[in-house]
Amino acid sequence: MLAGGTDLLPNMKNDLTAPTALVSLKKIQTLQGMTYVPGKGVVIGARVTQNGLVRSSLLNQKYLSVSETAHAMANYQIRNRGTIGGNLVSAIPSADLPPILIALRASVTLEGSHQARTVPLEKFFTGPRCSVIARDEILTEIAIPDQATTGSAYIKFGLRRSGALAVVGVAVSLIAEGMHVEEARIVLGAVAPTPIRAREAERLLTGKTVTEAILEEVGRAAASECKPISDIRGSEEYRREMVGVFTKRALRKALNLTTSDGSRKTG
Amino acid sequence: MKQEEHAVIGRSVPKIDGRVKVTGEALYAGDLRFPNMLFGKILTSPYAHARILSIDTSEAKKLPGVKAVITHKNVPRKKYGISPARYDENIFCIDKVRFVGDEVAAVAAIDEETVYKALELIKVEYEVLPAVFDPVEALVPGAPLVQEEYPGNINTEIHHSFGNVEKALSRAFHVRKDTFIGHRTTHAMLEPHVSIALWAGDRLTLHTSTQKPHYIQYYVARMFDMPMGNVRVVKPFLGGGFGGKEAAMGLDFAGAVLARMTGRPVKMFYDRQEMFLYNRGRHRQIMELTTGVDRDGKILGVHANFIMDGGAYTANGIATAYYSGALLTLAYDFRNYKFDMIRVYTNLPACGAQRGHGTPHPRYALESQLDRIARDMNIDPAELRLRNARKPNAMTPNDLQVNSCELKACIETAQKASGWKEKKGRLPRGRGIGMAASGYISGAGYPIYRTNLPHSSALIKVNDDGSAATLYTGAADIGQGSDTVLCQMAAEAMGFRYENMSVVSADTERTPHDFGAYSSRQTLMSGTAVKRAGEMIKKQILETAGQMMEVDPAELECRDAMVFLKRDPTVGQPFAKVAREHFVRKGLLVGHGSYSPPKLGGRFKGAAVGTSPAYSFATQVIELEVDEETGEITLKRAWDVHDSGTVINPALAEGQVHGGLYMGIGEAIWEEVRFDEKGRILNPNLAEYRLPTTLDVPMFDSLIVKSSDPAGPWGVKEIGEGSSVPTEGCVSNAILDATGVLIDSLPFTYEKVWRALEKKRIVESSMKSCE
Amino acid sequence: MEQVRDNKESVKRYAIELTVNGDAHTVVVKANTLLVNVLRDGLGLTGTKKACEVGDCGSCTVLLDGEPVDSCLVLAVEADGHEILTVEGVAQNSQLDAVQQAFIDKAATQCGFCTPGMVLSAKALLSRNPQPTEQDVREALAGNLCRCTGYVNIVRAVLAAATKQASEKGV
Repeated sequence: MLAGGTDLLPNMKNDLTAPTALVSLKKIQTLQGMTYVPGKGVVIGARVTQNGLVRSSLLNQKYLSVSETAHAMANYQIRNRGTIGGNLVSAIPSADLPPILIALRASVTLEGSHQARTVPLEKFFTGPRCSVIARDEILTEIAIPDQATTGSAYIKFGLRRSGALAVVGVAVSLIAEGMHVEEARIVLGAVAPTPIRAREAERLLTGKTVTEAILEEVGRAAASECKPISDIRGSEEYRREMVGVFTKRALRKALNLTTSDGSRKTG
Repeated sequence: MKQEEHAVIGRSVPKIDGRVKVTGEALYAGDLRFPNMLFGKILTSPYAHARILSIDTSEAKKLPGVKAVITHKNVPRKKYGISPARYDENIFCIDKVRFVGDEVAAVAAIDEETVYKALELIKVEYEVLPAVFDPVEALVPGAPLVQEEYPGNINTEIHHSFGNVEKALSRAFHVRKDTFIGHRTTHAMLEPHVSIALWAGDRLTLHTSTQKPHYIQYYVARMFDMPMGNVRVVKPFLGGGFGGKEAAMGLDFAGAVLARMTGRPVKMFYDRQEMFLYNRGRHRQIMELTTGVDRDGKILGVHANFIMDGGAYTANGIATAYYSGALLTLAYDFRNYKFDMIRVYTNLPACGAQRGHGTPHPRYALESQLDRIARDMNIDPAELRLRNARKPNAMTPNDLQVNSCELKACIETAQKASGWKEKKGRLPRGRGIGMAASGYISGAGYPIYRTNLPHSSALIKVNDDGSAATLYTGAADIGQGSDTVLCQMAAEAMGFRYENMSVVSADTERTPHDFGAYSSRQTLMSGTAVKRAGEMIKKQILETAGQMMEVDPAELECRDAMVFLKRDPTVGQPFAKVAREHFVRKGLLVGHGSYSPPKLGGRFKGAAVGTSPAYSFATQVIELEVDEETGEITLKRAWDVHDSGTVINPALAEGQVHGGLYMGIGEAIWEEVRFDEKGRILNPNLAEYRLPTTLDVPMFDSLIVKSSDPAGPWGVKEIGEGSSVPTEGCVSNAILDATGVLIDSLPFTYEKVWRALEKKRIVESSMKSCE
Repeated sequence: MEQVRDNKESVKRYAIELTVNGDAHTVVVKANTLLVNVLRDGLGLTGTKKACEVGDCGSCTVLLDGEPVDSCLVLAVEADGHEILTVEGVAQNSQLDAVQQAFIDKAATQCGFCTPGMVLSAKALLSRNPQPTEQDVREALAGNLCRCTGYVNIVRAVLAAATKQASEKGV
């Protein structure tokens, strides 16, 4: 299935995949577009490009963290072609959109020769480059349901400031009143075969009033929950440590304690 | 004549090829099309070390669209390389392959897709042999032997000793011995190699992406036993070289053979992965450095004991090995110097010359060590450098003659421009400022093969009506702007206008001999030839004008395309009118000139390497921030202060500095070629071989100090490579200042910095708990 | 787009229609033909460069319906019916675009291999953001690698072009 081609074509050129036929999704109009559907939430067509996510006034309004995540991906040219559906279906462990979408409770609709089904994104990924999508299914839309989040954020840590895969990616979504956290969702990317919820870290945060010490504890918990590998971009040990660091930073951001570049606000 | 008085040089005129580059009209080798042209590629080895048992090309030959397939059986078996002292490559491997990427066969076919398919159909039977990927391991007796003629895998061994280093170190107040590791990087120029071969009878033409048409002509003629006059090498527009496009390659040789066999032009090309395999980039160096200083931090002696990983072939590496040690004596004044070097063969892609040619890593080592000495002795690093800075008109211990040298002014200007004194020791936590100094050659004193040919020559032809002039130069514009700068020099010398110049360059049939673009030689060497050619024109112009005006030519001057009486500049004749008159009365108005450097250097083995008619000097300062939690480095600002003699085109000189800083910074922090346990490159692409993007580097500041060297035309020296030499050391010192941690190897990846900081934190917290 | 009669190799070919630099072209391609190769080899527009062919460097950048894309990652069939601007189409009737002129004035080209991609990315930036900050420029060009210039003069050129265009509009 060909959407943007920014993952498929390089894989074909590097002999990682050799399809005998490509089916372009270009002409399926229902895969485009983004709307708000009462009861369903923000519904995003699978073929919306990453730049489409960046520019969407609907997303900027309701879930700025998703637009900001898209903005951190690849570079401008790639974002003009790469699609949200393609990013999800590629199921690359270091992909940026899955963590923030999972934090925001997103679900995806899969349509094929059988009846259409909706799968929570959290249950969509099964392993590196593997998901529950069947060979005869297309991912058609992503829905972010209405929810009581007070702040969400995704921080990507890459080895340069553009065109870099995440070495570690941390997404958070909170229901908080001031520094008091009622509910937390923390999702880690690039440090396990799939994006994972850091449930122990969430538990340590829930019902607490945030202090530096709490953040430290939460970060350490998240670090212990991930299962990173060592590869050309970083060692397992480093990734684990960085999960701790960026969990704290993402939480600070979602609690509105930092400016958009991650630096601490004064006062 | 004071620089301000020059008419053309010293001005930032727009590049002569600027327009064709912004419109896409400029044709690079890969853009050229010839009628009936075929496409060709080379089959490479998947193994790091293996015997070739058989090669079966029959299936490939049968593929529709394939016109020829060749192996070692179809090409001369003569060994080639760059330095005659180390010809160790064959066009195609005969008995064995020596690295993943070694060249085994080639195909010519009607289009790219067919060529790629045909390569897959060539069946090579290999017997895999044990391989060695580390130079230290390769030196161990019993290690796999890469090249049969080089026992112990020793490619080049150097032992130089000047003065008495042992005595100097024993007298020293403070001695430091550190081992630094410089890493393997590659040029990563954007344009991949392309070579198009075509024959006309017995004459071969190569349109090839090269920095040095002459040498390609020489090597190709030699390989095929042809007179050089039957080999024409043309450099089209070139998309970057940095030392990586200086050799005759398999693409050139195989292309020539395939073109001969098929009777059709053949375009040979590499894709990006193959660029990484071909490599010829910077050597990994293990550098043990011992430096002794007196109470004031004055260097008394230095012992450099280095091992280089040369990869599977020499390429230009024998020169690199000598350069690594030769230029360490340039920037600082000390008499006692010992240099021991072994360049080792391994089963990895061959290394050769890359911007700075062997000197950036040793520079990183010495500059880092000096900052550590400064820290040990509580001396400001800038002050330490001032105390040791080379002065003009000096001879280094290894017999390199320095004429002009404004290093002291560079250091002082760098201090001022960067706010060094206000910042050093006073920056907020995690922020640091570092300095490094260096020197570099303005052209190699000796050519690569033994010859008494002049190093450069040039021809200028003035148009019949005198309204335009064409410069013919063998010098190669590889992006640095030599076409532009040489036209400025031609116009200046002639008394003509840059705007009316055109240039034909780097075509061995159409342009006079020049060794080409390497060792930062062209502004000085090609420039001298051009200046002489221009002066010859001017002399004829003044003579003819003298006749026309009935005055003694000595009373005339020519400037900005006007000939005028010195004593009354309002009286004169336009250059064009005089030129036309000259053509009518006396014939073609042409000028020519050539240049050979004087005999340079000492009498010891390898003394030639490092010699140069003039040396540039530089000081760089970098300010950066380290995120102490992650090790991430953010560059804040960078300054380069250069002594490059007279500057012909300030904007282009600045551009070289920007690029030099960029490359040095990229190599210092982000870039590294990495291998798996089978010698395969892990990151043969421009995503994981991390070049900094626009978001990773700040604006750079380029400053020039006033200087002029008697060896250069109008006093010029180099800037293109010298601006990348101190950078790794500068980044190293800035990180030391920012973090207080000593890191002994390149690159400074975020993880490496983080580990060093972690270690420091652990030490500090355990010390605290002891209190 | 029309499928053209199979040839004896049974490889499907398609006749596609591209508008390139304002000119309509009909080209016959295979499913796996890349846009960059149609432009360079099919139409002889070699200004668009191939440096990595996998979307890492931006040298092959063209504007597809006004938006920068890596043409090495676009199949020709996907471009059927669309408008493409290559570097050859930027100057109008020998008049250089403000970005092109600024690249010349600010010495923003060295080897020039990244220049076509840079010019197009910059041109697209100024269309959507006529008064970019330095950071905006750097973000817009982050997908275009340059090995020669350190980006210094390129960024200066784009900012200068923006200023020039703004003053011409009387802003």
